[in-house]
Amino acid sequence: MKNIMMPEPHEILSVLKETQAEYTFRVACDAETQHGQFFMLSIPKIGEAPISVSGKGPGYVEFTIRKVGRLTEGVFGLKTGDTLFMRGPYGNAFPVEQFENKNLVFITGGTGLAPVRTLINHFYDRPEICKSVHLISGFKDVDAVLFTDDIRRFKEKFHMTATLDNTTAPGFETGLVTEHIKKIPFASFDDFNVVVVGPPVMMHFAARELIANRVDESKIWVSFERKMSCAVGKCGHCKINETYVCLEGPVFNYVKAKELLD
Amino acid sequence: MNARSFYLDLMERREALYHYLDQIDERKAPDPEAAITDLAADYAKIFLAAGISQGSAAFPFESVYTSPDRIIMQDAWETVRKRYESVGLIRNGEASGLFEDHIALELEFMAFLCEESRRDPDCSDWLIKQREFLRDHLLNWVPAFTADVKRYADTAFYKGIANITEGFLRFDREILEGINAPLDEGIENQKEVGETAFSLTTANMDQILQELKKEYRIFAPKRYEKRGAKSSTDLIRYGEIHSVREIVHEIQSDFSPKEIYYPITQTMIRFQENQSIEEPASDSRGVLIFARPCDINGIRRLDNIFLENGGHGDIYYERLRDKVRFVMMECGGGWDDCFCVSMETNKTEDYSLAVRFDQENLIVFVKDQAFEPYFSEEKSKEFMDENRKVAPENADFMPQFVTTNKKKVRLPKIQNHQQLKEVSDLEFWKEFDEQCIGCGGCSAVCGTCSCFDTVDIIYDETSSDGERRRVWSSCMLDTYTMTAGGSRFRKTPGANMRFKALHKVYDYNLRFGGDEHMCVGCGRCDKRCPKEISFFDIICRLSEELESTACNTTATEVPGNSIAAVDEPAIRADISEGLGAENPNRKVER
Repeated sequence: MKNIMMPEPHEILSVLKETQAEYTFRVACDAETQHGQFFMLSIPKIGEAPISVSGKGPGYVEFTIRKVGRLTEGVFGLKTGDTLFMRGPYGNAFPVEQFENKNLVFITGGTGLAPVRTLINHFYDRPEICKSVHLISGFKDVDAVLFTDDIRRFKEKFHMTATLDNTTAPGFETGLVTEHIKKIPFASFDDFNVVVVGPPVMMHFAARELIANRVDESKIWVSFERKMSCAVGKCGHCKINETYVCLEGPVFNYVKAKELLD
Repeated sequence: MNARSFYLDLMERREALYHYLDQIDERKAPDPEAAITDLAADYAKIFLAAGISQGSAAFPFESVYTSPDRIIMQDAWETVRKRYESVGLIRNGEASGLFEDHIALELEFMAFLCEESRRDPDCSDWLIKQREFLRDHLLNWVPAFTADVKRYADTAFYKGIANITEGFLRFDREILEGINAPLDEGIENQKEVGETAFSLTTANMDQILQELKKEYRIFAPKRYEKRGAKSSTDLIRYGEIHSVREIVHEIQSDFSPKEIYYPITQTMIRFQENQSIEEPASDSRGVLIFARPCDINGIRRLDNIFLENGGHGDIYYERLRDKVRFVMMECGGGWDDCFCVSMETNKTEDYSLAVRFDQENLIVFVKDQAFEPYFSEEKSKEFMDENRKVAPENADFMPQFVTTNKKKVRLPKIQNHQQLKEVSDLEFWKEFDEQCIGCGGCSAVCGTCSCFDTVDIIYDETSSDGERRRVWSSCMLDTYTMTAGGSRFRKTPGANMRFKALHKVYDYNLRFGGDEHMCVGCGRCDKRCPKEISFFDIICRLSEELESTACNTTATEVPGNSIAAVDEPAIRADISEGLGAENPNRKVER
């Protein structure tokens, strides 16, 4: 019988510093992963935490981890060639096929860009399978901006708005993501989907703003972050009502998501 | 005993009645009319208490035999009616003088089930219904009733009828088990199911325990002096036992048996030089647990989480769980805080042995064939002296179940999501912000709380070698929903209480279906709470609130789509964190 709690050692191929606090770890891994899924990573001397895949390619997956709180020490110590224990991938994925040949809108808050990055890249690499991509990414300030290179690339091909909460910087607009939603020409789309990922408060108000802009709830997709100690439906931490985020999520359509009462 | 011996037993019981009938045969008896008068008088005496000064009699209603005050129209009457209704039967006018739990109607219902079993090509459901009705109703009270009939009867006629009734029900049970066994349990039970009861002294039982210990670790509630939650009190908790005398059976244990098959802390994985190694099981022996029906029912809730949820089993749980066998302790009639009957956990069939503590003696009922050799005559010769021979003296002993509690609860019936939301938003939960201190004691004593954290331990600072342990957690702890980055999704004891309560009496059932709720009604959490919060009261309160107008809107009253969505916090966020203001401790984590 398979031990579903057993992590396997994986080699760290590279470590990239994104910001003062965020690092992206590229880890050798052959597992097939879908957009929006996550792994349970064993952070040395700390324990396991669910971390979403922020990048993937042949033979590797990437995780972008923030170097704060209890995780500081463990993450800080990791370097190229080290071993990272992990298991996965877990959870459901964004319904990519449903997004194809339509207009697509991404609204991300801070590190919420990480779990949708592979999905954005999917359409970046194949612009012909999507009518248009609009992207609003909000960050607290310029020091918190993630994936700077990607943002530059995305700006070339997509309708991209990168915004800082309440400061100014060259190449960035100012204001919360919700303030930029009205710029999206929903009326001109014949069919579209909106992916909203970020801190709970941001997702809540972004959804409100979208609905105020006459976006149907069923067009909105969110991804939930919850504490998890197992990711396989046993530990109980991620349960909301009768739903287990690790099993039925982390991606939810808003019609379902709005009914989940923590 | 097997079906054949029950049959022979029934034939023997019949003899007494035949003998009596022979005597009053008109062709032989001098005055058959006198015999009829005798019978009428005996009938009145037995069933109507005629001529008995203290008014005792064998009243032929299940409620009388299963309610504490021995009165009619109690819980049994209600449950029997529900059973009848479940197959579309109601009492007709002709039987207007009888309540549904009268022995005549219960027997007639069995006859109806038999007829349906014969008629329906797929009879298995009907057979199960027969078996259940026999177990839950007829055999739960008729043996006591027929004993009374025999006590009050003067004529061999009624004594004989009582004897035959009882014998027939046991014979019927054997037949049904024989028919059902291949359906349920496959090849192993092709052999005749053996079920036998033994009367043993504690010394005898200790000798059997010694034998059992070669194959099993044996656990039972034990007394730990001065270790109780309050000063100078004892703790009653499960531990390994070596003698019957250690078993605390007269009061409820403070903890459930959960810690035996789901340890409080358990090493799962060792990390050694970049390898992860599964922690092997510590003991290959079986696990035999003395437990009451509520706790035996509790393990099925844990099974659902650890073996079923997510479609894959947890190896650490499964490898222990597979070894568990139960010795069902007859429950003495319930304690002050429990409500197993309301939660339908008062009965169980999941046991290998059943035991009744009868002063210095034990009556042990052997249900699982695997245990028969321990009680065999051959075995008894090995280690018992002549006078203490294990013998099937109480062959007709059947374990009895509690059928009524002091506490009864109506379960809240949440019909739809709108009602769930209304229940979730009740002001009532906020009372617990003050009352509950979030200690998690309720989860620790609960037999069905299954949540855990994992904890990594390193052996020394210079290497990463160490281990990962699983430890019990509780949704009542304030860190329960806290992510590594520091955000929390439920922030108050009131919110935690709502989460727990709805899981116990709503969410679990919604997820796993069936009739079963997570709570088994053992009442341990109420006893344990240092702030005397009663979970029982919470369930009652929930039901009241639901029935009040406050929670009685219907789905059609939900405002239009977009308006509802605007007002509804999609992701319950603490607004005070501020719009879009990110938690500085947050990291990327899904």
